[in-house]
Amino acid sequence: MASEGRVIETSALTMRFGEIEALTALNITVGAGVTGLVGANGAGKSTLIKILLGLLEPTSGQATVLGHDITTQSAEIRQLVGYMPEHECLPPDVSASDFVVHMGRMSGLPATVARERAADILRHVGLDEERYRQMGGYSTGMKQRAKLAQALVHDPRLVFLDEPTNGLDPAARVDMLHLVQRIGRDFGIAVLVTSHLLGELEKVSDHVIVLDGGRLLRSSATADFTQRTGGLLVEVLGGDAERDRLGESLARAGLSCRPRGSLVAIDPPPAHLAVHDLVRDAAADLGLGLVRIQPDQAHLEDVFLTEGAARV
Amino acid sequence: MSDRPLEVTGVIHDIGYRGYDGPREGTRALVLSLYATGVRHAFGLGRSGRSKVLPFLLLGLGVLPAVIVVGVVTMIGLESLPVSYAAYLSQIQMLVTLFAAAQAPVLFSRDLRHRSIVLYLARPLSSTLFALTRWASLATAILVFTLTPTIILYLGGLLAGLDTGAETPVFLRSVALQVLLAAVLAGITGLISAWALRRGFAVVASIVVLIVVSGVVLIVQGIADFEGIETVGEVAGLFSPWTLHNGLAEAWEAGGRATIALTGAWPIAYLATAVVIWAVCLALLVRRFVKVGSK
Repeated sequence: MASEGRVIETSALTMRFGEIEALTALNITVGAGVTGLVGANGAGKSTLIKILLGLLEPTSGQATVLGHDITTQSAEIRQLVGYMPEHECLPPDVSASDFVVHMGRMSGLPATVARERAADILRHVGLDEERYRQMGGYSTGMKQRAKLAQALVHDPRLVFLDEPTNGLDPAARVDMLHLVQRIGRDFGIAVLVTSHLLGELEKVSDHVIVLDGGRLLRSSATADFTQRTGGLLVEVLGGDAERDRLGESLARAGLSCRPRGSLVAIDPPPAHLAVHDLVRDAAADLGLGLVRIQPDQAHLEDVFLTEGAARV
Repeated sequence: MSDRPLEVTGVIHDIGYRGYDGPREGTRALVLSLYATGVRHAFGLGRSGRSKVLPFLLLGLGVLPAVIVVGVVTMIGLESLPVSYAAYLSQIQMLVTLFAAAQAPVLFSRDLRHRSIVLYLARPLSSTLFALTRWASLATAILVFTLTPTIILYLGGLLAGLDTGAETPVFLRSVALQVLLAAVLAGITGLISAWALRRGFAVVASIVVLIVVSGVVLIVQGIADFEGIETVGEVAGLFSPWTLHNGLAEAWEAGGRATIALTGAWPIAYLATAVVIWAVCLALLVRRFVKVGSK
């Protein structure tokens, strides 16, 4: 492999559909582990994946996947990667078992290996007895699992998962995210997973790339997005009235704070201030029951609020 | 795993994920695998039980008369087949057409309609090779359909004491024409299915193109024959794969009979037309799949 650790690399990748620019001079690097690709619908996530698979030819710019150039070596790339599309893509009149074996064969696995690996991978994604039933009768959750199995059957080095949690109920969503995490960490397969739900990717990905309108908004380790802001969240017993009384009292003491839900969010205070003591005393003076004081944490959503706003 | 209580039986132990470092097959093997699966799927094998009914029912209906013919030849002791190979095929024309029309969507609409085509195109095989392999699967399935009764007629006839030296050349010429017919039928029905997407539309459109047009051609040929204007009949025959086949079968003595006897250079023109139709269908099919791939 040309550059170990660099699974995907793009430089000035641009894609135009007529008047619309789906991707604008995109420079990204994706390494091993799970990488989340975040963006609103139409941000260019699926377009990027299709370009990397060699299904779409970019208007300009270059990209390499696992060290292979996307324009000249797309057949090699397609042998090494797996792809789980966002939309439905399963023929209804065959069983998951037969289909995954067939897809393994289509990725170059010899017949016996394809059968063994299909059985293995269907077990890993959690399709047990259902695997022998025709896929037309599957629930959305089962279909997503079958789609995932076909993307993994040939033991790819990299797998593209386009919105794997789409249409799943909360419990199935958690299962799927857990699976995604396992693929990246236990299976040792690099994962590029897209979602328009930021909170989901925050939990499973090591690295997050944020796209907005075809442009790179930010690319960094997930921990950088979700680091502590230095602010505090305070909760007191009672309702909004109690919350507001505490907030006003803290404001008089020189802290800048605002209500957030049932909590009071305190902006990062000056370093010399003993803010915890201040909160305790304020609550005691007002006769309020202090429930908790916790560090405030940033969320991926904030990227859109701060960096997205800064661009406009 | 090891920390599980040992007395629990019947537990599938999670031995973790296993990778694969062994050899991977090249393009040739991929094409062969896709081809074989395609032929099987055309007969409903490896698909639902219901999808086996129609192809095998049609095949049964197509073979039954051949068995009866062989029985008659054996019992009465005829010197030649009452219905020879190409003539037999034109008798079961409707069944062959129905088979092609009904099974082409299995190979050409299904992947496009359910969008599983994306999964194929995200794999090493190119969209061009995919389209060509699908066509080859359908052409083979149609050929199997037409060859089965032909072989029964041939072998049954020989067993009943027909002259091998007389039958074999006719049989072989008919087989060659059946290859051409299967290629053209697979091209036409495949192209229609790849555009229509919905199975019902594809079946109806294929039947209109193959049966209705062929019927019209036969009427025109009948009138031309009656009026004695042969050229009109010969030209009309160019417009249906069935009249192309039947015309050539009569001209080249493959045991066929056609309304219009071809004279002069007409057999060559018929052959050329069939090849052109086949090539155009194939080119359009490839174009269709390449376009889908870039969507």
